[in-house]
Amino acid sequence: MVMVAALEIRPSDGTRAALRAAGATYAARCYQCGTCSSVCELVTRDFTFPRRQMMLAQWGLGGSLARDPAVWLCHACSDCSTRCPRDAKPADVMQAARAVAVEGFAVPRLMGRIVSRAGATWPLLLGVPIASWALLVGLATGFAVAPHEVFAYERLVPHSLIYAVFFPVAAYVSLVGWISGRRFWSSLAGGERRRGAFLSALVPTLVDIILHRRFATCTTARSRRQGHLWLVLGFLGAAVTSGLLILAIYLMRAEMPLGLGHPFKLLGNLSAVFLAVGGWVLLRDRLAKRRHVGTTTAFDSFFLGVVVLVIATGIVVEAARFALDPRVAGWLYIVHLGAVMCLFLTTPYSKFAHILYRTLAMAHERMVASGRSVASRSETLDGSLAHPTH
Amino acid sequence: MEKMGVFLCTGCEIAEAVDVAGFEALCGENGAQRYATHPCLCSAEGLSAIRAAVEGGEIDGVLIAACSPRAKATEFAFDRTKVAVERVDLREQVAWSHEHGHEDTQMLAEDQLRMGLARLKRVKLVTPLVETIARTVLTVGGGRTGMQAALAAADLGSPVLLVETGTRLGGYLADVRYLVPERPPYDRIVPNDIREMAARVQAHPGITVHLSTGVERIDGQPGQFEVALRGPGGATTVKVGAIIQATGAAPYDAARLAGLGYGVSPNVITTLELEKMLNEGALQRPSDGKRPDRVAFVQCAGSRDEGHLPYCSSECCATSMKLAAAIHRDHGDVECAIVYRDLRAPGQLERFYKAVQEQPGSLFTRGVVTGVSGNGTGPLTLTVRESLLGDEVKLHADLVVLATGMVPRSADGEAIRAYVDAKRRAEHGDSEKVRKDAAALAEKLKDHAGTEILNLSYRQGPDLPVLQHGFPDSHYICFPYETRRTGIYAAGAVHSPMDAAQATEDAWGAAMKAVQCLAANSRGEAVHPRSGDLSIATFALQRCTQCKRCTEECPFGTINEDAKGTPEYNPLRCRRCGICLGACPERIISFPEYSIDAVASMIKAVEVPDADDEKPRILAFMCENDALPALEEAARRRLTWNAWMRIIPARCLGAVNTVWVADSLSTGFDGVLLLGCQKGDDYQCHYVKGSELAARRMSNVQETLDRLALEAERLQVVEVARDDWAKIPTIFAEFAKNIEDVGPNPYKGF
Amino acid sequence: MSAATTKPLLAVGAGIAGITTALEAAEAGREVVLVEREPAIGGRVLRNHHYFPKLCPPSCGMEINTGRLIRNPRIRLMTATQVARAARTAGGWTVTLVRAPQYVNERCTFCGECSKVCPAKVKDAFNLGATEVPAIRPYHAQAYPQRYVLDRAACPTGCTACAAACSYGAIDLDARETQETLDAGAVVLATGWKPYPLDGLPELGGGRLADVIANVSMERMVAPAGPTGGKILRPSDGAVPKKVAFVQCAGSRDVNHLPYCSAVCCLASLKQAIYVREQLPETEVKIFYIDRRAPGRNEALLTRVAAMEGVRLVKGKVGKIEKGPGGSLSLRVEDVESGTLLAETADLVVLATGMVPQLGADAQSFGIRRDDDGFGLNDAAARVFVAGVARRPEDVASSVRDATGTAAKAIIAAGR
Repeated sequence: MVMVAALEIRPSDGTRAALRAAGATYAARCYQCGTCSSVCELVTRDFTFPRRQMMLAQWGLGGSLARDPAVWLCHACSDCSTRCPRDAKPADVMQAARAVAVEGFAVPRLMGRIVSRAGATWPLLLGVPIASWALLVGLATGFAVAPHEVFAYERLVPHSLIYAVFFPVAAYVSLVGWISGRRFWSSLAGGERRRGAFLSALVPTLVDIILHRRFATCTTARSRRQGHLWLVLGFLGAAVTSGLLILAIYLMRAEMPLGLGHPFKLLGNLSAVFLAVGGWVLLRDRLAKRRHVGTTTAFDSFFLGVVVLVIATGIVVEAARFALDPRVAGWLYIVHLGAVMCLFLTTPYSKFAHILYRTLAMAHERMVASGRSVASRSETLDGSLAHPTH
Repeated sequence: MEKMGVFLCTGCEIAEAVDVAGFEALCGENGAQRYATHPCLCSAEGLSAIRAAVEGGEIDGVLIAACSPRAKATEFAFDRTKVAVERVDLREQVAWSHEHGHEDTQMLAEDQLRMGLARLKRVKLVTPLVETIARTVLTVGGGRTGMQAALAAADLGSPVLLVETGTRLGGYLADVRYLVPERPPYDRIVPNDIREMAARVQAHPGITVHLSTGVERIDGQPGQFEVALRGPGGATTVKVGAIIQATGAAPYDAARLAGLGYGVSPNVITTLELEKMLNEGALQRPSDGKRPDRVAFVQCAGSRDEGHLPYCSSECCATSMKLAAAIHRDHGDVECAIVYRDLRAPGQLERFYKAVQEQPGSLFTRGVVTGVSGNGTGPLTLTVRESLLGDEVKLHADLVVLATGMVPRSADGEAIRAYVDAKRRAEHGDSEKVRKDAAALAEKLKDHAGTEILNLSYRQGPDLPVLQHGFPDSHYICFPYETRRTGIYAAGAVHSPMDAAQATEDAWGAAMKAVQCLAANSRGEAVHPRSGDLSIATFALQRCTQCKRCTEECPFGTINEDAKGTPEYNPLRCRRCGICLGACPERIISFPEYSIDAVASMIKAVEVPDADDEKPRILAFMCENDALPALEEAARRRLTWNAWMRIIPARCLGAVNTVWVADSLSTGFDGVLLLGCQKGDDYQCHYVKGSELAARRMSNVQETLDRLALEAERLQVVEVARDDWAKIPTIFAEFAKNIEDVGPNPYKGF
Repeated sequence: MSAATTKPLLAVGAGIAGITTALEAAEAGREVVLVEREPAIGGRVLRNHHYFPKLCPPSCGMEINTGRLIRNPRIRLMTATQVARAARTAGGWTVTLVRAPQYVNERCTFCGECSKVCPAKVKDAFNLGATEVPAIRPYHAQAYPQRYVLDRAACPTGCTACAAACSYGAIDLDARETQETLDAGAVVLATGWKPYPLDGLPELGGGRLADVIANVSMERMVAPAGPTGGKILRPSDGAVPKKVAFVQCAGSRDVNHLPYCSAVCCLASLKQAIYVREQLPETEVKIFYIDRRAPGRNEALLTRVAAMEGVRLVKGKVGKIEKGPGGSLSLRVEDVESGTLLAETADLVVLATGMVPQLGADAQSFGIRRDDDGFGLNDAAARVFVAGVARRPEDVASSVRDATGTAAKAIIAAGR
């Protein structure tokens, strides 16, 4: 083991409390036997977790946790929690560490705090977007829909309006994500030295993520991997569809709404099916309180809730166009748009942010994996939650 | 005995192995008046035949020639006060282990009979000791262990005298607020109930408590101790039967832990100091009285450390966790960091460990604290190596608590005696060298001066001998109460490192043994390991030369000396091991059933063939506690061994007198083998020093062999354990081979 | 204590704790009935090769205790006997004892003629079933009472070979179970423990992999009277292991198995490490632990083994054991000190399985209270006490101390 200069330990009660609030309820029980690390299929010879992270959590060394890529390499498959001899639920602790890190890197911090406390703030988070859509639509078309026509939502909410709103939102999300990502990336650099080019690490990482390769090694939570995979593919499909629609509307000048047989339409619906299945699987696991699921915090529920709401309203809205009174359908559509906007706006602060941090952490890990020396992984151990800026 | 009857069993292959036809004549020639055989001597008919002969008064000595004395022991048990019994093993040692029908087997069987009869002739009837026994139990030490021992002994019906040098009962627990959990649910600290216990002791009609009182002198023997006490009321003398030493342990001297900041910073204290602080309801830094935000516990402070205490003090992990729990309960959210090397919470205490971990503010890490720096009022910094947070880390704390280990409050009786002797030799030694060496030794032992606790007037020293690290103990696994001073039992932390719960149980055990010893005394019986033995030693003092070997070598300090050095035998201290008998060059010590004469005549009874018969004879003295039972197990497994061997059971190798070795070589034996238990630090000898003494004595004999122009190889001492049954035949074979190479004993036929 | 006027004590279980309680009480002058379920006394300790920390044979102390037992007129020993029923009375307990049929009775001389002609083979209970022995046999060579035992169920129908071979009329193939009622002044349950079952630990290969054995089997393996005559061999192919791994806390300190610490496993493994190194100086030994629990003077054993060449103690609990390359086993464990994941291989793995209190029907008939881990609790008012490992996980030394004290508690409860 490489000798390193004496590190100073600065335990923090605050961090311990924050982690407990975020679901690390039983971290204190851990007696450092290492069963968790030895049963985790994701650890490599020189890069083990979550045993060490349990120690950091017990002592409230949040700063170190925030900088620890291991927190993001864990896929919460819960093999560790199943075997933990003290039932300290390491998977929950890693989950909590991620939540706390997302809040820590959030820009602005206020948004991070609001979303992390979704248990209390969810009416606001969901209500404001829906209300503002209702307002916008009111101003734009005043809900004037002629009943006799075959109903198209475009008549109620012009595409132009949708894009006028969602383009800036997307821009904001990307900007905020970029800043947080940068901070996270540089804090990771405080750990081990990276080798090689970022891109050459990013591409294989993305493939891993999309195909859930790491997830596949999990034994306890197979179903979760399935649900997760469906969901990610579904969202990808939805995103692609939205892009294609822009082509359809402004370049191809296609007649809206597209016929059900239209390839874009088919893709969209297929994505909807994927999302529905994925959402159902995850929801079922949560409700069934499967052991591997671990503790469900308000933060988790809110995120899952919004996702489910988006999917549900999306599907219902599509059907409603034919089945229901245009006014009712119209209101459903507005709720749907609100939910989507909520999902968009909270992305940098919710579990969606995992995509960002996990991708970076995995890329980082690829870049340092070669020639790692174990000791060099922990140069300061502090309890501060403030994101470390170097 | 004069009227000897031989009862020979022909079952279990004995009659197949040897021709018993000539045995009646042989026994007659060797003094037997009566001879009978039976196909199954242990059957009802066989036994009634023996009883009839005994009750009819035809015989006063019974020779049972059948199986090993350890087989059918209940069937062949007779009242040794009425009839002498000798068992000759023709089954395990002959029929089951030697070639049937072979002439060597026949000779072996015949020698077995001759040896048996020779011995029986000299065995005497046992006359039990009848003494008046004081039933009082003296408990030294008024801590939890002492009080529990007193309560237990009193409830067992013995009056109890409890003496405590301090001014109050309760020992160190009197300053303690909470205890480690000792019963379900094992997950929380419990209020200290030591005061209630003290009240129970004070109120118990069977217990008399003497505070501020020390033991000035203890004379006599179990059942008849004369104890001189000195207390506030002046000096008193009391008669007690048995003694329990529950003097507890002192915390390791923290002054020796300056490296951990003790004495350097006022804010480094010991667990005991924290106990007192919390008991007074306070939690503050000695430097400025501020409440600490973080307390750090340093485990193994002085324990598990060759430089300090090599052993683990057993209770420190639980104690520190208890204190962390107490701080949490009474002083709220103070961080308590516990730095341990191995967290030792055995058994159900695992639940306590878990509970303390779950307390907010609990911080545990494995690690070795290599230093505590900082002084004055500022925070202290602990340097921790091999921690789970990094190989070397620093941790700040406002108060550092050293979990100092326990040092037994005992006195090493033998060392004190050695010191006194050395001092005397340093002054009156006959040569300059002797005086110089003695002075040096005295200097080495001077720390023992004035440490006396029991002040026993025993020749071998005023206190219990210690085993290791100052703990007075001996066979601590199988027989934890077999102390080396009969009737005196150590209990609790002075006995061996243990936690409070174990100490309390130990108190119960010691009380049981104390009361049991008095019961045995009043029956005239020996205590462990020869419990029930009614025989005692007799000393033919007119032949004594005051050589003091018996008084020095008895492992149990049985024998005192008068001014001239003549032995004063204390039968109630005696364990009947026969080590004194083995020590005595003048052969003046004997037991009714085990004497120099009896064994010597067994040796002479063996018919040793002439050198040219090429039938060497080897005499083996075997420890009857382990070596011999092991050999019999070999026989039960039908292993065979060299037929030249002639075996004499010994109570202990220490009970083998060198004169027997001389006798056997002068009667023509070609070699002598001693098989007994392991000696040394991890001795297995049931009499503690027997095998060690035997080894020493025999090495001296080997020197005399040289002088007699006899090869040293003819005498060998081999250590065997009870489970070495497979090795013994090989040991015999190898020894026989050596003897063959050395050639026949030149003294044959003289 | 005049024994005549008081009822005897009943000690259930003749392992080291029960024997000690019985002997200490009887030597103090008390009448004692000692009942044992097995046909011979000695329980678990006699199945151990050596005791820690002295590495001395249990048979040594047992030899002395057997002698004390034989000589003491106040102890009545009943082997192959169990408690069927027990009822509280004003003065203690009325207990119904059931004694298994004595197919071989006290006339037996241990001569062995019956074994020679016995056609049936059974698993050897003393060697934990690791070997086969004739249905009629000595329970073991040091067995007390010194008498052969017969597994009647294994007899071929109509076979009377043993009875015919016995010249002492010691064999009665038609023997019946007998019952007797006993009035006891107080009861001490010293029913001991059983090892945590191997197949409760499949993730560690328990019950799945032949070369993953329990510490209790290791004790038999190294015993001269054991299944391999004392040789340390790999069960699967009888090869001499080049690498032996000890897995501590196999089932102990684990909420999924036994939440408590079994208190002896660390020391047992340290002791067994010495067995291995002394018999196979070339063989590497690794001990994987959470905490090295060697209290009191046992610390010396830890120091000794830690300093031994060829022995390594690694902090880390083994998570998985699978078949490895070339008939070896592969262990997954994190070396906690260095934070590296070790992929260890071993030829023989010894699981330091813990102790489960054994308080079966015998104990239950006295309605004793138990803690959450199933260990029995003393109940002085009810005149029922528990001694030894049935009461708490502990080593032989503490069991003996505990059992000696329990004798006193029982005597007091029974009334003098």
